[in-house]
Amino acid sequence: MADRTPRTKPAKLPSWNSRTQLMFHRFLESAPDAMLITNEHGKILIANTNTERLFGYSHHELVGQSVEQLMPERYRRNHLGHRASYFAEPRVRAMGSALDLFGLRRDGTEFPIEISLSPLPTKEAMLISSAIRDVTERQRTKQALGHAKELAEAASRELEAFSYSVAHDLRAPLRSIAGFSQAVLDDYGAQLDEEGQSHLNRIRAAANRLAGLIDDLLALSRVSRSELRREPVDLTRLGREIAGRLQQGQGGRAIELNIAEGMLVRGDPRLLAIALENLIGNALKFTRNRQQTRIELGLTETPVSPQTFFVRDNGAGFDMAHAERLFGAFQRLHRVTEFEGSGIGLATVQRIIHRHGGRIWADAAVDRGATFYFTL
Amino acid sequence: MAQSEILLVEDDPDDEALTLRALKQSRIQAKVTVARDGVEALEYLHGKGLQDGSERVLCPQLVLLDLNIPRISGLEVLRRLRADERTRGMPVVVFTSSKEEQDLVTSYSLGVNSYIRKPVDFSEFAQAVNQLGLYWLQLNELPPHGPA
Repeated sequence: MADRTPRTKPAKLPSWNSRTQLMFHRFLESAPDAMLITNEHGKILIANTNTERLFGYSHHELVGQSVEQLMPERYRRNHLGHRASYFAEPRVRAMGSALDLFGLRRDGTEFPIEISLSPLPTKEAMLISSAIRDVTERQRTKQALGHAKELAEAASRELEAFSYSVAHDLRAPLRSIAGFSQAVLDDYGAQLDEEGQSHLNRIRAAANRLAGLIDDLLALSRVSRSELRREPVDLTRLGREIAGRLQQGQGGRAIELNIAEGMLVRGDPRLLAIALENLIGNALKFTRNRQQTRIELGLTETPVSPQTFFVRDNGAGFDMAHAERLFGAFQRLHRVTEFEGSGIGLATVQRIIHRHGGRIWADAAVDRGATFYFTL
Repeated sequence: MAQSEILLVEDDPDDEALTLRALKQSRIQAKVTVARDGVEALEYLHGKGLQDGSERVLCPQLVLLDLNIPRISGLEVLRRLRADERTRGMPVVVFTSSKEEQDLVTSYSLGVNSYIRKPVDFSEFAQAVNQLGLYWLQLNELPPHGPA
């Protein structure tokens, strides 16, 4: 019976004329890696110019020689075994990414390599074609990266320890300064004139200010230290909670609060809460002298992003000429006597926004309020 | 009626003086014993050095525990107090400068009753001490033969 099984026709290989030979030669030479064709005895049949360059041999020192000369002596014996097993089961194989392989140059130096192999069946015999890549640069980069990571982790641990000791050790003496000045005032105040009492009050106030500063710095450092979580966060609800809480300390001022609905983002809920606390807290602070306070938290489109959030107030505002100082740590645009504050709040907010990959900027005018825009 | 007793575990003499001053100002009637490191605190609470020689546990109504103390840390003292069934139910309030999250988390996981951060401003400090005294010595109830 006639065999009717469909047979796939073998791909028609180009006939081996001088044109194909030229193309093949050019193809081999254009490869970025060292390219070799070896037979089952490990004899090099073809080697491209990159092989010469990589290993430091001339062409006639490669062709006809054993491939084992290209590897350090300690690998040679095993390689004979590898060759045998490869020919028993030839397949495309990439080597080196997990293993530590080395090539041996003519001058005796070694260098790290990656090798890929592919069987090359011919009419006469099974051959192997291989590509060899010098990965010295890659190893170096990996090591540098690993080293940098270690340094960063060590620095982070040191910062953690430093912040912790700051939390404890700096506050206690401040408490003593504040407490014992108060004690003098309480116990001996009657014997002091007004100026004497005022001195003591200044000492107390300064100690309290320093304590606030330390807390702000701690919060700032905590922002940098902590890991950034990416979760869904309802900015509308967060804003309402924070505004509600901050409003309680405001002694029943008339405050008009507008918070846009449905602002959902992905970010770290704790850090975003700190950012909003700072921004809304600032808005409340700088609108203190207004008859009618208006604060808004919303969403708008700006050239930076179609999803730009903002906190706007109708308070004291500031002169845009000083705007670059706005986010610097300890930079303040108002006198302490006008509006208290350490000048760290906005630096903290900026760090939080930047850690989220966003941008923050402001727009304001003196006595006409301020708007802080940010993206996430 | 037995007088109320507070065990103050505190090594900083200034903080000790300020706490005693605040208690005096609040007019809370209590005997205050001061332990100046973790070892002293545990020895006092677990009965060593009792005058009548018996192994009875002394039962202050409140332990005010600073975390930053020498020899044995405040957290370790808390751990051992809770591990010993004689002091497992004793009211312990951590009273410390630190607001570090790690300290908060560990304190509560070890079973602290309350965690108060010492204010720097003295009138706030005095108010905190006053509230602690009123709550734990007057409002709070303990079993007749001591907690635990």
